[in-house]
Amino acid sequence: MPFFCSFNSRDIILKKLAVVITTPPYSNLTITALHYIEAALHININIVGVFFYQDGVLNANSKVQIASDEFQTIKRWQALHEQYQLPLHLCITAAEKHGISDENESGSLIHDAFTISGLGELVELSTNAERLVQF
Amino acid sequence: MTQTQSPKSLALLNSKAPFASCAGKDALDIALVFASFEQPTTLFFQGDGVYQLIQGQNGELISVKDYLKTFSAFEFYDIEEIYVCQASLIERGLSSDFHIDNVQVLNQQEFANKLATHNTILRF
Repeated sequence: MPFFCSFNSRDIILKKLAVVITTPPYSNLTITALHYIEAALHININIVGVFFYQDGVLNANSKVQIASDEFQTIKRWQALHEQYQLPLHLCITAAEKHGISDENESGSLIHDAFTISGLGELVELSTNAERLVQF
Repeated sequence: MTQTQSPKSLALLNSKAPFASCAGKDALDIALVFASFEQPTTLFFQGDGVYQLIQGQNGELISVKDYLKTFSAFEFYDIEEIYVCQASLIERGLSSDFHIDNVQVLNQQEFANKLATHNTILRF
């Protein structure tokens, strides 16, 4: 279900946006970030990438389970990636600190929608985007 | 970098005390990476963030790796602009006794003006 935004697309001059996520999947702040991103995509703003840092890396953990009657942040990220090819960059140093690695004995805990990245990617995103928004 | 554009200036706004959370270390890592990619990087300290600059701290006494020692490498990384909010120091009864040189104390208006001159602001 799309998030309905109140601003008018003809007022938008912003063309390229990058987003930094620092909050975990069970945080309301992450839900706000998802609504923000969905609203931007809805009016054809080009999101050059989303960068996951600090507790935000937990959004990439494919084993996180959210109760079925709650907002499905994890599934929303995956759906946005599939629907819009939204680049989801995971800071691997932060991820490994949080126990999420692509080299676990039982395989990777990182969902396929996420690209393994580092802070160099954040430099690239901030260079390519006209605006960078942190959640 | 895939595109050659003029570098954007980054402001890192530090608002948390040094050892209770990783916020200061996470901000430091960003500062050093941006600086090594030759992005103009400025550090701001406000609120409890000012504690990151205060002289005479030793994280190892509480078994925390003392990332503050890395601040002395800022010059090497060409991080030359370091600003601290005067009001935050006064509120906490702290003097301008910092463990690195080159820190400039700004009043609230100057601090806000400086912050606004940057393309990107990240807050930790």
